[in-house]
Amino acid sequence: MRRSSRCVSFATVVVLAVSVSACAMLETREAKLQEVKTVGIISAVGDEMSFARTGLTGLNNRSQSFPIGSWGLDDLIVQQATTALNGRFQVRPVSYQRAAFTAIKDSPVAPVNLIRGDPFKKLVQTEVSPQGLDGYIVITKAKANFGGGGRKVEGVGFITYGTLLASSNHIHALYEIRVIDGKTFDVIEKMTAQPLDNTEAVRLPGPSRLVDESFSPSTGDPARNENLHGAITDLIARSLSSTLSDMHLADVR
Amino acid sequence: MNHPVQACFRSSRTVLACQTFLAPLLTALAAISAVSDSASAQTAFTLPAPPFELPIGPSLSGNWTVMVGVGGEYKPDFVGANRSMLSPVPIFSIRRAGSAEQFRGPRDGASIALIDFGDFRAGPVGKFVASRKANSYSELNGLGDVGAGVELGGFVEYYPVDWFRTRGELRQGIGGHHGVVADFSADVIIPVIQRFTVSAGPRFTWESTKATSPYFGIDAVQAAAAGLPVFNAKGGAHSVGAGVQVSYRVNPQWEVHSYVEYERLLGDAAASPLVALRGSANQTTVGIGASYAFDVKIR
Repeated sequence: MRRSSRCVSFATVVVLAVSVSACAMLETREAKLQEVKTVGIISAVGDEMSFARTGLTGLNNRSQSFPIGSWGLDDLIVQQATTALNGRFQVRPVSYQRAAFTAIKDSPVAPVNLIRGDPFKKLVQTEVSPQGLDGYIVITKAKANFGGGGRKVEGVGFITYGTLLASSNHIHALYEIRVIDGKTFDVIEKMTAQPLDNTEAVRLPGPSRLVDESFSPSTGDPARNENLHGAITDLIARSLSSTLSDMHLADVR
Repeated sequence: MNHPVQACFRSSRTVLACQTFLAPLLTALAAISAVSDSASAQTAFTLPAPPFELPIGPSLSGNWTVMVGVGGEYKPDFVGANRSMLSPVPIFSIRRAGSAEQFRGPRDGASIALIDFGDFRAGPVGKFVASRKANSYSELNGLGDVGAGVELGGFVEYYPVDWFRTRGELRQGIGGHHGVVADFSADVIIPVIQRFTVSAGPRFTWESTKATSPYFGIDAVQAAAAGLPVFNAKGGAHSVGAGVQVSYRVNPQWEVHSYVEYERLLGDAAASPLVALRGSANQTTVGIGASYAFDVKIR
């Protein structure tokens, strides 16, 4: 009897100790965000646009890229994010090497990404000024699979999905948002922009929509295609506020 | 393309996709359908944020697509049998909303692509191998049981073009048998229209002696008990065949699919008295199923 009572006491102590440790470790992201008052916004999404074909294609289906820096998408993103975040945070202007952020690519070998950690943490530390803000919002290109095959798409792009009887054109603006702690440079929060409420049979895991042939970059210089420019801008504008809201950074719905 | 599978843990960093037996969820299907029938691919309902979050890993917030369904598979009672049986196969998967489901063949093992170049993928693979009980079927009387096991190994997949997949799996048996199994397949994937996809291609399987012998070998004791001649089954080419599958997305929620896989046993698997005298070298599996997908938003 005494032995079983001792066992129960020991088990209770162990359970309590584990629970207290777990509570200490499981500090929520929300709690960390509460401490962030001043933020800087970094955007490196919209320097180029990809043009790809997938589904039933010819043998040469390599994707092409076109510069769209003249659209100023990153400035638009910073401006819109600033508006969305201003209620909760004090947004401070920051300067940074955009090319350094766009040059970062995930390794195709998943364990390498786990071992090396998030590369944007170091970039924020070395390529952004001023330092010392409570947090940095980093908005960069995201990558996703499209269709059932091996096609990957990234950032801003136009993709034609070919089938035996018809083909469809899609535009996308895939990006992800990180909140990086300005003191420890840990990633507090990270989220990929979600799909808009579209109902296409073939969807992307991010903002995208069906478009007609007049949006195609092959019909001229994509940077001068006002339809395309307007549609991409709209995708970003509509998705940015909802993504920031999903991250509990803004309540702008 | 989606079809019932018994276990699947394909995933990427941002995508969690897993299909497994989850019978209780199927009961919830009707209720969920009623709630979200008019919701198209839009969010069916919103769940509150979890009370705590792990310090590492991506946030759960955002939209998730949950898919539930049921299918049926009509396949031989055991490998080499000439009679078949229909069995239900539940379908369940959860993934980030909009995430594309990678093409899967009905014979694929459950796999995770740790190396993913898009057109080239590789990683670990596993497959469950059901037990074979001698008292379950009259043809097996006297042959003894073969326990359930798993086969673990690796896979490679290559897409020369988006509509053609080649795949190889090499697995080591643990449990039911202790041999090596190699599966090779190729599939032409043809989207006829956006909603309707057809795929088809050849299959080939090689098995080592230790993988073949437990199922097709007959020792003296078993021979006496079963009334079959003694047979020393060796490894080698195990089967060759072909498969075709179709899937049709009725709307953003509903998808129906079907597949037929045929294989012809070769070598000592086909020559075994169990197959030659009591079974058949022609093995056909037919599957059909329907699934319903809806989005859930986690704040």
